[in-house]
Amino acid sequence: MNNVEHSAKPYWNPYLSGFGLGLVLLASFVIMGRGLGASGAINAFVATAMHQLAPEHVEKSAYYAEYLGDGVHSPLKDWLVFEVLGVFVGGFLSGVLANRLKFRVEKGPRMTNPLRLLFAFIGGALMIIGARIALGCTSGQALTGGSLLNVGSWIFMMCVFGGAYAVAYFFRKQWI
Amino acid sequence: MNAPFYKFGLFGDEASLIIAFVIGIGFGFFLERAGFGSGRKLAAQFYFRDLSVLKVMFTAIITAMTGLYLLSRLGFVDLSLVYLVPTFVVPQIVGGLLLGIGFVIGGYCPGTSCVSSVTGSIDGMVYVAGMIVGLVGFAEVYPSMQSYVQMTPMGQITLARLFNLPYGLLVFAVVLMALAAFAAAEWAEKKVTGTSPDPKGSITGGPWRMTPVRILATGLAAAGFVALIAGDPYRGSRASIDTRDLAIRVGKGVDKVQATQLADWIIQGRNDFKLVDLRSEHDFDAYHIPTAQDLPLASLAPDFAAHNDRIILYSGDGTEAAQAWFLLEAQGFKNVYLLDGGLRAWQNIVLFPQKSAGTDPAVFAKQVEVAKYFGGAPREEGTSPAASVAVALPKLAAPAQPPVPAGNSSNTQPKKKKEGC
Repeated sequence: MNNVEHSAKPYWNPYLSGFGLGLVLLASFVIMGRGLGASGAINAFVATAMHQLAPEHVEKSAYYAEYLGDGVHSPLKDWLVFEVLGVFVGGFLSGVLANRLKFRVEKGPRMTNPLRLLFAFIGGALMIIGARIALGCTSGQALTGGSLLNVGSWIFMMCVFGGAYAVAYFFRKQWI
Repeated sequence: MNAPFYKFGLFGDEASLIIAFVIGIGFGFFLERAGFGSGRKLAAQFYFRDLSVLKVMFTAIITAMTGLYLLSRLGFVDLSLVYLVPTFVVPQIVGGLLLGIGFVIGGYCPGTSCVSSVTGSIDGMVYVAGMIVGLVGFAEVYPSMQSYVQMTPMGQITLARLFNLPYGLLVFAVVLMALAAFAAAEWAEKKVTGTSPDPKGSITGGPWRMTPVRILATGLAAAGFVALIAGDPYRGSRASIDTRDLAIRVGKGVDKVQATQLADWIIQGRNDFKLVDLRSEHDFDAYHIPTAQDLPLASLAPDFAAHNDRIILYSGDGTEAAQAWFLLEAQGFKNVYLLDGGLRAWQNIVLFPQKSAGTDPAVFAKQVEVAKYFGGAPREEGTSPAASVAVALPKLAAPAQPPVPAGNSSNTQPKKKKEGC
């Protein structure tokens, strides 16, 4: 089954999209002196939400302490949080303009929906843990650190591709 | 003009959040344009069906890399002020492998999952929920793995510094590598899917005509070649200074650190400053303040530290340190301090403190403890300060990680920077 409506416009050329993305990243370097990110914002969000739900537990936690800040400013008043809000808006705008907004489940033809959703959940959990350990995800480490010739980012990037290719065979039914 | 604008104070934190939002819109827009809202398209990368992930990612990397290089080389951007995530080798290997495995299972990375879920992909939304639950779980086990997460630190380091190669040469090498990877990717796609690459959208396919894609590839290759021959992008020896500002700061004495304060910082294990010894290697080997690095005046290069690092300088009597302070200020370093009184003050106050009539015994007891910590000893009462010069210095620096004296407990864990992703 084709997941995309017939009226949806084709995706842009990968090199030209990459060039656009590179210019956004360059603008971030020049204006802010920092690159892009994504996983850090989820962190601020979780710290805030957990602080509301279980304030005593969170205040004792060594992990959350770093993200709760001084108690005066909300952790949500953070650069990465606003950037990721922008990512949602930008993605939505592009989706609307290309007529690509559609409720769907992304998967290969041999995969069932419930299993796909279970895998999406597990994948999300694994990746955020990996991102916390590595101090960044594909945005903050690979893209940003990659273009700054950051040693750790290049090590990280090799390992992302290595890890993915190493296990891709076992998950082929999900995608192809 | 000086960039990065934010680091030069052109706007404040409030405005930076608006900029964050706008930059995010651009980021999300191009991710969605490339088709990265589709988990199936993303995962196709790992089955050699559609290598868009590699093409988009490396085009973005070499665009930003060559752009930043050229702007820095032209003196528009101060590259040392662009934040580098510190390197921790083992955690970044482990984290990278986890991300790779999670990518194939989940179909997204954190950034693309935002774009996917907002365009209606239910698996993208579930992926975001997975991230939230995963993070809550990670926070619970974090205390037991805190030490592993900070294993094998290398600090903020670029490949250029690691391999001791010119920055421009590496920029050129990465551009070449990316272009070769694009050609290989197009070849692999052709092999696996059996269709020839679309001549308009590829670098290698079809008749040789100039297309936007080929113009872009040629432009990036040219920028890489310029980097190869244009030299170091870090700001060079030409500098301008605001002499009046400098005079005010010198007059106020805000640029000095007292010996006792420095001693406290070292005992606390603080690592948010660089201590630089400007004396000769010979003198340095004979004695230096623990944690100091030896950097004789003539070898002060503009890239020995980031411009916003806190740097504390000292020399024997303070002359060389004062000269170096001026040089570094002129080169745009923002946080340069002098050890007040130089090594002589360190000797007289920290290593060999002397009790005078008015000293509070408790204060003096602490001074003695600090002195012993650094291998010194209190001086006899009544010894003249001049005699202290004759007192032998401790043979070598105190051990790198000595026990913390009582009453000086402080966390030695470096504060993790929040600036990264």
